[in-house]
Amino acid sequence: MRRIQVCGAGRAGDGTNTNILTLGQALKDQGAWVFLWREEVYSNIQTRDSAFGLRADDRPVHGPDDEFDILEAFDRGAFLDIGGEGRVPPIERLKAGGVVLYDSSPRLEYPNAGYEITPEMVSEHVLARGMRVFGLPMGQIAKERFGRYILRGSVALGVLSHLLAIPEEAFLRRLRASFGKDSELVTQNAQAMAAGRQYAQEQGWRLPDMTLAFDRQDGDRQFLLGNEAVAAGAIVAGCRFYAGYPITPASEILEFMAEKLPSFGGAVIQADSEMAAAHHVIGAGVAGARAMTATAGPGFSLMQEAISAAGMTETPMLIVVCQRGGPATGLPTRVGQEDLNETVFGGHGDFARIVLAASEPEAAFYTIGRAFNLTERYQSPVFLLLDQVTAQSTYTVPSLDPSLFVIDRGKLLDEAAIARAHRGNGRRYRRYELTDDGISPRVIPGASGVTTYYVNSNEHTEEGYISEEAAVRKAMVEKRVVQRMAQIRKDSDLPPPRISGPEDAAIGFVGYGSVCGPIREAMERLAADGRPARLLELQTLWPFPSREVRRFVRGCRTVHVVEYSAGAQLRGLIQREATGPMPRKLRSILRYDGRLITPGYVIQEMERGT
Amino acid sequence: MVAATAPKAITQAEVTGPGAWWCSGCGDFGVTAAFKQVLLTVVNDLNIPLERVFAFSGIGCSSKEPEMLQVNSYHGQHGRSIPVATGLAVANPGLMVVDFGGDGDSYAIGMEHLIHACVRNVNMTLIVMNNQVYGLTKGQASPTAHIGLRTSSTPEGKKGRSVNPLRLAIAAGAAFVGRGVSWNKNELADLMRKAVSTRGFSLLDVFSPCVTYHREPGFRGSGPIVDWYKSNYVLNIRDAWRDMRDQVFTAEERANLPAEYDPTSPGAATSALRLIEAAGGIGREVTGLLLVDESHPTLDENLGVTAERAPALADVSLASNLRSYRELLEGLR
Repeated sequence: MRRIQVCGAGRAGDGTNTNILTLGQALKDQGAWVFLWREEVYSNIQTRDSAFGLRADDRPVHGPDDEFDILEAFDRGAFLDIGGEGRVPPIERLKAGGVVLYDSSPRLEYPNAGYEITPEMVSEHVLARGMRVFGLPMGQIAKERFGRYILRGSVALGVLSHLLAIPEEAFLRRLRASFGKDSELVTQNAQAMAAGRQYAQEQGWRLPDMTLAFDRQDGDRQFLLGNEAVAAGAIVAGCRFYAGYPITPASEILEFMAEKLPSFGGAVIQADSEMAAAHHVIGAGVAGARAMTATAGPGFSLMQEAISAAGMTETPMLIVVCQRGGPATGLPTRVGQEDLNETVFGGHGDFARIVLAASEPEAAFYTIGRAFNLTERYQSPVFLLLDQVTAQSTYTVPSLDPSLFVIDRGKLLDEAAIARAHRGNGRRYRRYELTDDGISPRVIPGASGVTTYYVNSNEHTEEGYISEEAAVRKAMVEKRVVQRMAQIRKDSDLPPPRISGPEDAAIGFVGYGSVCGPIREAMERLAADGRPARLLELQTLWPFPSREVRRFVRGCRTVHVVEYSAGAQLRGLIQREATGPMPRKLRSILRYDGRLITPGYVIQEMERGT
Repeated sequence: MVAATAPKAITQAEVTGPGAWWCSGCGDFGVTAAFKQVLLTVVNDLNIPLERVFAFSGIGCSSKEPEMLQVNSYHGQHGRSIPVATGLAVANPGLMVVDFGGDGDSYAIGMEHLIHACVRNVNMTLIVMNNQVYGLTKGQASPTAHIGLRTSSTPEGKKGRSVNPLRLAIAAGAAFVGRGVSWNKNELADLMRKAVSTRGFSLLDVFSPCVTYHREPGFRGSGPIVDWYKSNYVLNIRDAWRDMRDQVFTAEERANLPAEYDPTSPGAATSALRLIEAAGGIGREVTGLLLVDESHPTLDENLGVTAERAPALADVSLASNLRSYRELLEGLR
């Protein structure tokens, strides 16, 4: 087999996440393109149902498929809607003839205690559907043999290693890299894996049809979260100041920066709120540092005041928005795309801005490099939109190359340039000087000869002093808003829409972010079914690429706008900026229950709508 | 922060801005005059180039301060000057950061930031022009308005409690806590000099009367309102130390106390808190230098950044960093 989809289901805090990650790392090292996602994660640390997904393929995959081949059931949450709240347990998504590996221990420990899987549950939910079932007393083995219940995940991996023909060495290499080769942890995990393998052999378990083999061992590929790609890309782009407040699903960016940025001479402040974080970023930007923050919906709302200030003061500011289900606290750990309007229209007053989006880590890595250039070039806020899936899923992507970055700091005068501009002519530096291109040169405060660097959030003169004169106001607004946006629109650093699929396809899809992977797979299925389709993936959402979108829509018979927003924010933006209402042609495929869009979901919703 | 060679000496005119924003007799003029004296000291005596001074302000009458000066400045939004100043202070520890706020700005809408700036010990000075009212929105009560003060938003007189910024700053661990008065320029300038030269977070609250909206019965106008403060409201910490020590400290404690109040003594924070409390009991607010404690590391020190190793001055070129960038990405496989 060259592709497989696995679900690990248990309880928050029981090690399921680590189990799936370890399996993913091993398969990635075997040459597979692996994608790991959070199938079911509550805003909870221990005790609630949790499930993690793994997909391994012989080509790049950017999202989950509809059905699982294998379910690792670490407790009964894999089979039952325990709380009776209408939850769809992972077993429902196991394909016919799929494999269940479950913990058959008579007693489980915290946090799984009380959620043991009984033989009746297995027969009722599993055998009836023709599944192949392996009952492994993994908790019992881990506890009795090694005295550590948590090692049951490794016992399960030992079984999978045997059934799927993944060399144990693939797992151990990673463990040794994490813990050190002589670590007791490595030894224990290796023994637990061996115990699992031995148990499977003794039971005569085999899955000859599911043996995995991938083409090549490719150590060059990256295996990383979208959030890690963003943070690493920011550092390569020269970010040396990060301020942020912990919030799901953006916290990994703060954590990555806290760990890595100091060694690059940078500073990280864990702020007292998102409001403070965004203002720290302005202060660092005024000081001349490349600075950024990242957040999610609730924190982004708190940043609106600062965003407006960055617009007025013409201070570079970069904000990564990792979208989750809203409004308010909403669904902290689950996907949404409900903050598009707030990035495009948020912040009071008129000012220039740029909104970019990335659908997977490779794009995110290079896009944030461009984003830093754009925010300094135009001295205007720039947003990079991710969503919970792009932010917190682990993707396999081609090797990322920092040498492809270009650092352009815009009109930032060094001391020599300041001396040239101001030597002997009596003209003092003016922060908001009206220039031909409408962009006033910046300096790094402290630069010799500049004591008139006056930044003002009030309407101001070229010198920065408060002014409410009509002529001054008009000139400054035109500089800041009209002229600036006109220039931004022409900038070739704005990533253009990516169009895929045959040009004469009747069916069109439009989306941004994590929906694009599943749409592409849906298109393959539609094409195989004789229904060719095209996709326009937006990578710049503001300034909106109206012409390209209009042309795309014109070329299709129907266009489905796919997004995680009940309010259809993206479709609204398309209608406002590109097409007008077009109620018969423009349709929505929406998902707002916090669950992931899959290829099957796209097709099902498309057919329901037509 | 001291330059290798002395910068060109400056005059008061060179640091004077074109602003004309305050009512005749406003206390903020006194604050400005004192701060200009400090700028001359900083440049002409301490040899810190004027380029290295960066002023901040929020919103309110007080926050017009950068308009009255001619130094590098950021005039931001209401309550937000502290976090912006914090970002700049960390991004370039080589700059001398002085933030001007008002009592609404710093003690109401910006309170979150004030407390955390004290706790983090951001290396900056916050000078608050405290006048008990919101002047620029025409006279509503501010958090420091005294109980009973009648304003347009407290028509029956302020009720409840007032914010005591000195007590908060001491409790939150500020490195410098003091209070000046706008009508005593030399003393105020002296407090400012100490504040800006203290390493860590300095809070200098300044009673700077609003001559238009702070209305005390029988004390209308710029001269009388100052008289009201002098005769009814302020109590210097030195006088409080002398006059109230018997009531504040036990005989046993008094045996170990110095004759004069010492803001640098290890017990200064506790003494100051008790004197503030006792003064409050007789309707007085203490003034003077309450506390100087430079024993705690500053935020920039904790973050490992310095004037020489400033994030804002980092070499971010690809050429000088490419190898470490490749190592960074190597860890993501």
